[in-house]
Amino acid sequence: MTRALTWRAGTQAGRRWLAPAVWLLLLLAACLGMAQLEGLFRLVEPDSRAVVYARADFLVLLGRHLLVVGVAGLLAILVGVGAAVAVTRPGGRDFLPLVAQLASIGQTFPPVAVLALAVPVLGFGTLPIIVALVLYGLLPIVRNTLAGIEGIDPGVREAARGMGMTGGQLLRQVELPLAAPVILAGIRTSVTINIATAAIGATVGASNLGDPIISGIVNGNTAYVLQGAVLIGLLALTVDSLFARLQSRPVR
Amino acid sequence: MIDLIHVTKRFGEETAVEDISLSVARGEFCVLVGTSGCGKSTTLRMINRLIEHSEGEIHIEGQQIRAFRGETLRRRMGYAIQSTGLFPHWTVERNIGLVPRLLKWPAERVRERVEELMTLLGLAVDEFAGKYPRQLSGGQAQRVGVARALAADPDILLMDEPFGALDPITRETLQEELRALQARLQKTIVFVTHDMDEALRLADRLVVMHQGRIRQQGHPLALLREPADDFVASLLGGEDRGLKEAALLPVSERMLPLGPRLVARERVVQHATLREALSIMLWRHAERLTVVDDEDIPIGELSLRRLVGARSHD
Amino acid sequence: MRRETSRPNIVLASLLLATLVAWVGLDAVSVAPNRIVPGSGHGAHEVAGTAGLAASLLPLLAGLGLAWRPTLGRLRLSLGLVVAMLAALPAWLALAAANLVDPALPQARMGIGAGVWVALFLLLLAMIELRSRLSLSRALGWALLLVPLASLTACLAVWLEPLALRQEYLGRSEQFLGAIGEHLLLVGVAVAASLVLGVAMALAMRHWPGVQKVGFAVLNFLQTIPSLALFGLLLAPLAWLAANVEWLAALGVSGIGWAPALLALVGYSLLPMVRNTFVALDEVDPGVIEAARGMGMSRGQVFRQVRLPLALPVILEGIRITSVQAIGLTAVAALIGAGGLGTFIFQGLGQAAMDLVLLGALPILVMALVADALLGALTDLLRPGGAT
Repeated sequence: MTRALTWRAGTQAGRRWLAPAVWLLLLLAACLGMAQLEGLFRLVEPDSRAVVYARADFLVLLGRHLLVVGVAGLLAILVGVGAAVAVTRPGGRDFLPLVAQLASIGQTFPPVAVLALAVPVLGFGTLPIIVALVLYGLLPIVRNTLAGIEGIDPGVREAARGMGMTGGQLLRQVELPLAAPVILAGIRTSVTINIATAAIGATVGASNLGDPIISGIVNGNTAYVLQGAVLIGLLALTVDSLFARLQSRPVR
Repeated sequence: MIDLIHVTKRFGEETAVEDISLSVARGEFCVLVGTSGCGKSTTLRMINRLIEHSEGEIHIEGQQIRAFRGETLRRRMGYAIQSTGLFPHWTVERNIGLVPRLLKWPAERVRERVEELMTLLGLAVDEFAGKYPRQLSGGQAQRVGVARALAADPDILLMDEPFGALDPITRETLQEELRALQARLQKTIVFVTHDMDEALRLADRLVVMHQGRIRQQGHPLALLREPADDFVASLLGGEDRGLKEAALLPVSERMLPLGPRLVARERVVQHATLREALSIMLWRHAERLTVVDDEDIPIGELSLRRLVGARSHD
Repeated sequence: MRRETSRPNIVLASLLLATLVAWVGLDAVSVAPNRIVPGSGHGAHEVAGTAGLAASLLPLLAGLGLAWRPTLGRLRLSLGLVVAMLAALPAWLALAAANLVDPALPQARMGIGAGVWVALFLLLLAMIELRSRLSLSRALGWALLLVPLASLTACLAVWLEPLALRQEYLGRSEQFLGAIGEHLLLVGVAVAASLVLGVAMALAMRHWPGVQKVGFAVLNFLQTIPSLALFGLLLAPLAWLAANVEWLAALGVSGIGWAPALLALVGYSLLPMVRNTFVALDEVDPGVIEAARGMGMSRGQVFRQVRLPLALPVILEGIRITSVQAIGLTAVAALIGAGGLGTFIFQGLGQAAMDLVLLGALPILVMALVADALLGALTDLLRPGGAT
């Protein structure tokens, strides 16, 4: 009986990893095997000379895409969680209303507009994209971290203080663990948006999975567009299912 | 007025209420009491068909409740619940007028009725009519809830722990007001609670339920004096039953006419309870109290012997 | 209370200090002889001379002083100062145009520099901070913004001829108005369609739990796919449809243009719409519903008079999220030829004409903010009794 239960728990855990694993495999297979599908793309675009995007290797584009999103995501998490924690400490409380309002107003800014506004200030290339992604990606993280920390039952905090926990202990052992699911949801939103925005970054000179789409649109080559779209879609689904897996892990 | 005849309710495999029979007479205050999950709320909600019973029959004034549409039935009964269920997007006035409007009373009559009820329940019309439920205290919200239940002047009032979420002082005030209201309006009330003191204070007929069955029913004093089994006895307060009984009896029940002896110094009002009288004795170290009327004129006396005395008279 | 107000308002102080640093340290404007040549930056001291710069710092220093020992009156005064400084920004630009742009060069144009942008941003933040400190209503906050807006309009009409943004606009004013129309039309149709579809889906989901699971799975999936990719993925099937189904082609459906844009927009809009509607209808206090039924309301009455009105604010919240999101996504749709303000952004990026980018991006930003504020105000309005 016990063995059956552990076995079942084991397969359930395995099954929960199944979705991210399948999407990842599909993504890698699509990156490596796009050239093999030439016949298929020929159907879509019978008149074009080339039907498989060849200006750069798909794996390289994927790598660059991940690098930009990853770097921006890490920075956004560091700054965002840090800022939200800082303004919920006694010393930074003065800034709380402003930061909370900024985070909620900021989310009404369309990511494309933020990206477009970063270019005049920072120029073309990868840097403005990273800056824009960090700026925009901050908002959901700050907002959710604030919501997570502020949403903790005041009784819990008072009890922790009453037991003699220091401010640091309270933060690390009580507030952050309790707020973790909400923070994680914020990070998920942030990364999802960033994957999409990074792709649009191809229009401002960053080379990533958005490239085939933009170049396909510019040259009227639907096959390129499809290749880029499929890869970005698979990337988004892989990352999202990974987060779904992380979020479903019981925290308590 | 209300008759439940061998009523059973099953939710799938589970039996929530099993074979209960209960008759509530016109003007009777019937309290269903028991631990949570004993089936008391289910029983209440079967009476207005919020839950359909599985077996048996339920009659209102001799007619099967299934002869009516659920909505028609419910509009004839008042219904008040613990969370008040006031509509947060409606003002107090509109909330109270709900059922009369459902019954298509003319607007003028609804308004008059609402004002009448607000006055009856001690809610100043000018102050509260335009307020929203969010702006009320717990006690005020519950008064509005009761007013809403009374709005269409139903003969029957169903109440599911209406005072459960209130602080003890507000709760006691509302209990007294409800008792007085019922004495005046002669409604038939079925009231659900898990608070035995509340049940004893309000009930004409006390129905103790446990695990879906009625364990005992009758007048509170009868149950206190002769609990059917250990469960009923412990639910009624175990060793405290004597005090609970004393709390139900007025001093006038045991007092003797003024004798030739000197009147005792400590006094007690005639409609105080025996429990209060006992407390005064303990507190003042007195074995005798002078019983006075409302004008503070002595009308009798009560001795400790007499207070704890034989139940010979009944 | 007294202690609270006599403590320095460090938020306001830091904002004003940062404004001061940006004002002095960053370029106020950039001036170029024509559209092609990149501009050269000019600091604040070049705009108004050292004395003028010092004068321009006075209100900031005064604000800093007020923030040091804030009382209710001083905070109000600070708010007045901040609004005045915001209103003075266009005048500052006009001064720069008069002093730095050579009137002999009709092609000369002036761009707004980082210093002024940062000052604008920080002063707006200071305004938000003061608005919440003084607990002023949202409406009053918006009304205060009218002052700088009026100043901007006046300056644009009279003195700001060389402003690059204005010249870009004048060069394509008809296109610009057309693009705003297209943008609003796409957003409006997408939001309206998703509202109808979304409410229908939410109702279906409440009826059939099976639909709920599948529906949310599909919508989540859609929302995860990046917009650019979804536009791309729709391109092929729609192009095929247009080539093979005549009446669709006659309707204007094709792989690029409004058709894929609208489809994708509705697809994205459905998730927030359905989720909010579903949650709103589902999360009405069960006690209230029970009471409504206990009072003898019929199912229809309970839905129309209780459940729906109580859910309405949350449904409106869904419309708000959807609209703001659609305004941003429509900008991306310009890439596949759907028109709208995004056209200017991508044209500008293609030509490295940054002011053209601004001409597209700024109205989108304003549109999103206005939609957010209007629908937010409507939501508050429809929340009688503060029901949540």
